[in-house]
Amino acid sequence: MIRALFSAATGMNAQQLNVDNIANNIANANTNGFKTRRVQFQDLMYQNMIQPGAAANQQTTIPSGLQLGLGTRPGSNEVIFTQGEFSETDNPLDLVIQGNGFFQVQRPTGDLAYTKAGNFQLNSTGQVVTATGDLLDPPITVPANALSLTVGSDGTVSFTLPGQTSAQQAGQIQLATFPNPSGLNSLGGSLYQQTEASGAPVVGTPGGQDGLGTLQQGYVEQSNVSIVQEFVNLIVSQRAYEANSKVVKAADDMYQQVNNLKQ
Amino acid sequence: MFLSVLTLAAELHPRYRPMDQISILAAAGMQARMQSLDIVANNIANSSTGGYKGDSEFYTVFTSEAANEDGQDAPTTLPMIQKHWTDFSQGVLEPTNNPLDLGLEGNGFFVVEGPSGPLYTRHGNFRVSTNGTLVTADGYPLLDRGGQSFKLALNQPLEVSPDGNLRQNGQALGQIQLVDFQDHGAVSKQGHNYFQNVSGQPPSDATDLQVLQGKVEASNVSASHGAMRLVSLTRQFEMMQKAISISNDMGRKAIEEVAKV
Repeated sequence: MIRALFSAATGMNAQQLNVDNIANNIANANTNGFKTRRVQFQDLMYQNMIQPGAAANQQTTIPSGLQLGLGTRPGSNEVIFTQGEFSETDNPLDLVIQGNGFFQVQRPTGDLAYTKAGNFQLNSTGQVVTATGDLLDPPITVPANALSLTVGSDGTVSFTLPGQTSAQQAGQIQLATFPNPSGLNSLGGSLYQQTEASGAPVVGTPGGQDGLGTLQQGYVEQSNVSIVQEFVNLIVSQRAYEANSKVVKAADDMYQQVNNLKQ
Repeated sequence: MFLSVLTLAAELHPRYRPMDQISILAAAGMQARMQSLDIVANNIANSSTGGYKGDSEFYTVFTSEAANEDGQDAPTTLPMIQKHWTDFSQGVLEPTNNPLDLGLEGNGFFVVEGPSGPLYTRHGNFRVSTNGTLVTADGYPLLDRGGQSFKLALNQPLEVSPDGNLRQNGQALGQIQLVDFQDHGAVSKQGHNYFQNVSGQPPSDATDLQVLQGKVEASNVSASHGAMRLVSLTRQFEMMQKAISISNDMGRKAIEEVAKV
């Protein structure tokens, strides 16, 4: 009986976490390069009241026992790395990756982080940085008097200087991929960090055969959050929460009646 | 005085027993409903668990062995939950657009290599481990028809055909092992969305099973069905509680009023 109370409590906890996750997805619906997360639930241990397959007597075994489940738990909330929509900006430093790759950026601490958000800018020294000022890795510097800036689909950054007709190369953007991108650690600020689960990054130039993807200049990748899907999930989650709370109420009522047996 | 009441009652009622039948029966019924509530609570708690299959209970009548011996007495029979059964009906296949999510349509299971032997699951939420193996959320590798795990090439799109054949860039990687059990009582829940074979009989190949890529199977428990069960359980419980109070009242009246005569 007390099991029913606790099972319902695990259900309520799980749905609360689900709503937290949905809230974060919806809040980031307009975040460039944001990838939605989805919570996966698992059922918990089963308590064997009667062991299935146990001997009922010498000749027969119990075909299926009595197992009482003890509720649910959130197993993981994995990142769904599907492609978001591209919106045109005409800003030469807005880049999208059509493929599985990530941009590499250097954090102030010196270690590398990975991002899908390609809305880059130039800092005071002409280096290509993210919106939060982290350097693109490998670093690319564009002189202040550069007239036009072109990023090729293979990541080559070139510019022309005033009075010159031929373009000069500033460098080539490199992309990284992971064996298991779902295992990346979210750092906030649209950045991901490599973990034991994600595996080591494989770095290469865009446009190759290895599935890194190609770059497209003048677009930003919007989040891949589907608002409709999130609202549907929200409704389902809220109803499930309600159903679990009804179980708590029912268990409580039963207890009350048991206590009232003794008049 | 008290003794004489007992003898009197025994004379009035030849089947009189020190503790009354009604209360014992109703109490057993209440106990069983409480276990039912445990099962309903677990179903509702898992209404968002992918690949979860709802449980129901089988009621039976417990007949005491001593009851039939003297032949005259009504046997002592008590309601109890004998076993549970799992409803293996299809859950809704929710689209996720994740190419590593595989939904099953039909009867059967995926086979994964658990820590101690094969485990069976319908929760096809797979991922690629750091060494390229296709694994479940708990890191158990998915097995092909030869009992081997799948090795995926990094960053290449994966295609899964409805019959369970995996392909990357047109290159075949093998076919997913899909099995079914003649009797679903052969598998018991293991927790974490896995089933275990407890019958000792090997499973057979699944015959009417399709693998749908980019979908996961949702729980087959509906909140509305759970709510209905809740209402009926609480009402039945209430009825039995009433039965106990009535039996109490009868006992009290027997003591207080019969003695006055």
